[in-house]
Amino acid sequence: MENPIIIKPKNSLNIIKDLKEIWRYKELLYFFTWRDLKVRYKQTAIGVLWVIFQPFTTMVVFSVFFGGLAKMPSDGVPYPIFVYVGLLFWQFFSDSLSNVSQSLVGNKAIITKVYFPRLILPISTIITKFIDFAIATIILIGLMAYYHYLPNLIGILILPLLLLITFLAAISIGLILASLNVKYRDVGYVLPFFIQILLFVTPVIYPTSIAGKYSKFLALNPMTGIIDAARAAILGTTSINWTSLIISSVVCLIILVIGIIYFKKTEQYFTDLV
Amino acid sequence: MNQPIIEIKNISKKYRIIHQQDRYLTLRDTLNNIIKRPFAFLRGNIKEEFWALKNINFTIERGETIGIIGPNGAGKSTLLKILSRVTFPTSGEIKMRGRAASLLEVGTGFHQELTGRENIFLSGAILGMKKREVEFKFNDIVKFAEVEKFIDTPVKRYSSGMFVRLAFSVAAHMEPDILIIDEVLAVGDENFQKKCLNKMDEATKKYNRTILFVSHNMKTVQDLCKRCILMENGKIEKHGETKEVINYYLNHLNNK
Repeated sequence: MENPIIIKPKNSLNIIKDLKEIWRYKELLYFFTWRDLKVRYKQTAIGVLWVIFQPFTTMVVFSVFFGGLAKMPSDGVPYPIFVYVGLLFWQFFSDSLSNVSQSLVGNKAIITKVYFPRLILPISTIITKFIDFAIATIILIGLMAYYHYLPNLIGILILPLLLLITFLAAISIGLILASLNVKYRDVGYVLPFFIQILLFVTPVIYPTSIAGKYSKFLALNPMTGIIDAARAAILGTTSINWTSLIISSVVCLIILVIGIIYFKKTEQYFTDLV
Repeated sequence: MNQPIIEIKNISKKYRIIHQQDRYLTLRDTLNNIIKRPFAFLRGNIKEEFWALKNINFTIERGETIGIIGPNGAGKSTLLKILSRVTFPTSGEIKMRGRAASLLEVGTGFHQELTGRENIFLSGAILGMKKREVEFKFNDIVKFAEVEKFIDTPVKRYSSGMFVRLAFSVAAHMEPDILIIDEVLAVGDENFQKKCLNKMDEATKKYNRTILFVSHNMKTVQDLCKRCILMENGKIEKHGETKEVINYYLNHLNNK
């Protein structure tokens, strides 16, 4: 016999219990991800190709203007490859962030009718974006073949770690924004602008080295450490800067704890407000 | 085991009604309010409190079917929402000994763009069924809904009747210990309604399942439930044998 379910006014914060519950609902996690992937390209002519279209076009435009005309330095790597590695991680992060922030409001119809661990929604959103990331990686492989650029095989081993930190960065900030969005729809208006600005303070278009002695400030942005490390790992341009990577991870973890606490706290009035 | 399957103790739920323009708060409104009335929070009287539920107490035994009746705004749906764990009570405690599934609306989790087949799996998962369970019952669900021909058509092309039948059919094949239903039986044509009722009746009798449901259809309530609860203004007005409670309710209405 299972323990009885107790319904009380306050939601107790118990991370282990929550994780266990999410594990029990893993099929639902799968189905939400499946739904999002399935629905997205219904009634489109080229379907899944849209996943590749966006980063590819951005890469071409950036390569022409920043790499070609503006002669942006790229640590000795062909600029298209350089910028594409940055874009891959950047888009994984920014798409995850904006979708997570909408994940509660967008699923209002379900949230107000059925119980399930609410954390499943943001998590499944990021998994969907991760699949986009994986698909868009094909272009990177193509680019590297085109420029006869051999990847740094040992470096690739740390990619899962980098993806994990990106995941943490997106979900931690995302949880706070998603909860805020339940009460203040302003989030939906501010975020696109915020993300656009953030692109320019993240070394996507340019290498961190361009900032010279100010590059330390860039390190406060978690995506800086990640994109730098990704370039170092895949392209072998520089050695991996572990300090900035550790700073990024710690910052993410702190935000994550705040995010979960805030999310759990607001969970109690989601349905009454959303 | 003779412990009741659901124990509801002193449940109350308070809502705040904001007597202002719109439902959506924007940051600007909040800031504006702070500037206009910087000490408003000290008075704290701008929002009116409204008790949707006040000190609800009752218990339900395993295998019972309980009907909840009452006028609109009596708090019936709020109570079911709390039992479904969709919203939280303001005070009190509920103990549930078993897996509960709730059906507060027909078609929860359905997605218009997906086909009938896809929706059965999706909605099943959202309602708390395992994938294997859905696979196992898939044919029954389709047959019960009578949509065999259109199972691979997106549901946005379904007629509203077909949609409702499919949605209810998925829900009807859940096998929770406790089933919480909010007025969703009023769907489909007469025949289909009868089919749904039979299915529910079978569930309680055969598998000793517990059902808790809200309805405005006194006949359905009388057919299904031995015991019934009448709610009014967030309180339990009367509680007892179905016939007695319904009669009381009807007299009560006439006397108003």
